Amino acid sequence: MINLLMRYVNLLVLTVSVLVIFSFSLAYLFPGDTLTNISGIVPETDAQRAALEEAFKLNSSIFAQFWHYLENLVSGNWGVSFTSQVGLFEQISIAFPASMELTIYALLVSIVVGIPLGFIGGIWHHKPFDFGVVSFSIVSYSFPVFWLALIFITIFSLQLGLLPLSGRVNLLYDVPHSSGFILWDIWQSDIPNKYDAFIDAIRHLILPTASIALVTTAIFIRFTRRAIMDEMEKGYIDAAKSRGFTTKQIFFKHGLRNALVPILPLMAMQVSTLITNAMVVETIFSWPGIGNWLIQAIYQRDYPAIRIGMLVVSVFVVTLTITIEFISRAIDPARDKFERATI
Amino acid sequence: MALLDVKNLTLEIDTGGEFVKALDKVSLMVEAGEIKALVGESGSGKSLIVRAIIGAIPDHWIIKADRLTWKGQNLLAMSNEQRRVIMRREIAVVFQDPTSSLDPSATLRAQLEESIPEELLDKGMFWKRNKQRREIAIGLMHKVGIKNQESFMQRYPHEIPADIAQKFMIAMALVSEPELLIADDPTRSMESTTKNQILRLLSGLNETKNLAILFVSHDLLAISSMAHTMTVLYCGQTVESGRVKHLHRRPLHPYTKALLDSAPSFQINLPPKSHLVALEGTIPTLQHLPIGCRLGPRCPNARRECVKVPEQRSIHHHSYSCHFPLHLLVEEKMENKE
Repeated sequence: MINLLMRYVNLLVLTVSVLVIFSFSLAYLFPGDTLTNISGIVPETDAQRAALEEAFKLNSSIFAQFWHYLENLVSGNWGVSFTSQVGLFEQISIAFPASMELTIYALLVSIVVGIPLGFIGGIWHHKPFDFGVVSFSIVSYSFPVFWLALIFITIFSLQLGLLPLSGRVNLLYDVPHSSGFILWDIWQSDIPNKYDAFIDAIRHLILPTASIALVTTAIFIRFTRRAIMDEMEKGYIDAAKSRGFTTKQIFFKHGLRNALVPILPLMAMQVSTLITNAMVVETIFSWPGIGNWLIQAIYQRDYPAIRIGMLVVSVFVVTLTITIEFISRAIDPARDKFERATI
Repeated sequence: MALLDVKNLTLEIDTGGEFVKALDKVSLMVEAGEIKALVGESGSGKSLIVRAIIGAIPDHWIIKADRLTWKGQNLLAMSNEQRRVIMRREIAVVFQDPTSSLDPSATLRAQLEESIPEELLDKGMFWKRNKQRREIAIGLMHKVGIKNQESFMQRYPHEIPADIAQKFMIAMALVSEPELLIADDPTRSMESTTKNQILRLLSGLNETKNLAILFVSHDLLAISSMAHTMTVLYCGQTVESGRVKHLHRRPLHPYTKALLDSAPSFQINLPPKSHLVALEGTIPTLQHLPIGCRLGPRCPNARRECVKVPEQRSIHHHSYSCHFPLHLLVEEKMENKE
């Protein structure tokens, strides 16, 4: 186990350092002044330029510069935005939790809806209910996310007027920022009309969550259904039947567990798709998340922001992927253990 | 009364659009305390019979039988729940491939202890019951001849060798103290030492516990050493059945004769480098079954009448399905000479 852990930590460290090197070299690769790209400040006088070069060690060798860059990254001193001159760390620490919130809710919805539907479809496959489930998953898988979001807005916000169009919470409610997760923040705060604010935040969440979750739900349904169908045809299920176990025992104790072991990592890999979709949907719903923020930065050629935003998102995805891989490796007894030689 | 009585079992299976009679009027009877062998080539439907008996057949396959009874109760007419109870306590099955018949994500202990029926435990608090389960499990593993029970109990199915796994499957089958053990080719792909251990274990269980065994195999040598009676199957039809001794001494069906002749172990005076007798051709595929007696095209004695399915006839508990059985042919020849 320790060996396995060390291998994954090693992988993580190497990948992240490649990403950091890449983001550092972006300061040189982006058009314009390297100093401006790395600091976000346009020097107005020669004295200021000299001071900045001194601060970012641009006069020293490239290795010293990189070391200094690393130190700044670790200490949270990420430079300032080109356009607004606000600290990037502060901006990201507001935008990132908003994206996470959306992703987590969408993931929960996909799990809660997708796995049971896939399970039922897999057990009663080629029956009317299963055909319904499969058709639903094919249709929802085929929707482009951005188009779906626009259709949702058209129907539910503009025509029916049921749900709010954009944002996280109505501007009437002044929610103090603490964790960045809006529902948690409202719960924690002591603003008046806390209950109304909570309902309002949920109403804001419904459309973006639904438009992201639909595709992932479809994928989860298909994974679970296929895995259950495959698993139910295996010999040990027949053997369990022949031993006179109850159907419930067979499905839940043997079938579901064995079906989930191989597909859990596959499902977890969908989280990166989910994040990508979340970033697209954020822009449509004006959700103040990292995707929206990054796209604004790209529009405005805000090179320091693009550099840091790319680093944060990619490090997050890489860490998540490797952690999931490690966990699934650790819980599955049949993987990575020696196979017994047979005669 | 026979424990298991199968009479004219017909099973039609779905081969992509059309239904084919994979089993055609199969009859089989297992008496209490006997070892019954079910012999046939690969693809002759041996495993299908086992699956029909235990009820592991897809719903859309068509199963018909004059009789499919367990101690007089009709297995086909009863509800799933009644059938489950019988499978739980009275019939046990050992499958061909032991490793794939075990849940890959549970330890052997968990699986063996799950199989112990609640009735076998005394009433008590759960920790006492857990301890009892454990003792029963260890006792069973000892009984089937697995050493180092404790260490094997903690392993997963992919970590144990095939022979231990097969012994373990037998232990799991014995846990409910069944009356009939169906062993579906339990020694497949095992080398002879291990095979002998398994066969000896099964014969021993038959003698000590009066356990009836339906032994499904194509290993004639193993069968002749342990089985009391045998039924020969060809292409989903029962060809001949009777006591092993009688079948050996005087097979009445041409297929049985060919089967016995093809095994060199049964021929004492076989000169070196001589040809083994074998029937022409191969076993037909399910899509191209001949009508009537399915051995017809390959049978050395086939005549025009063989396009009709022969009735089952019997002489002294020795039954066969053939229009021109070997003993009648001999008489015919004698007549011709005269």
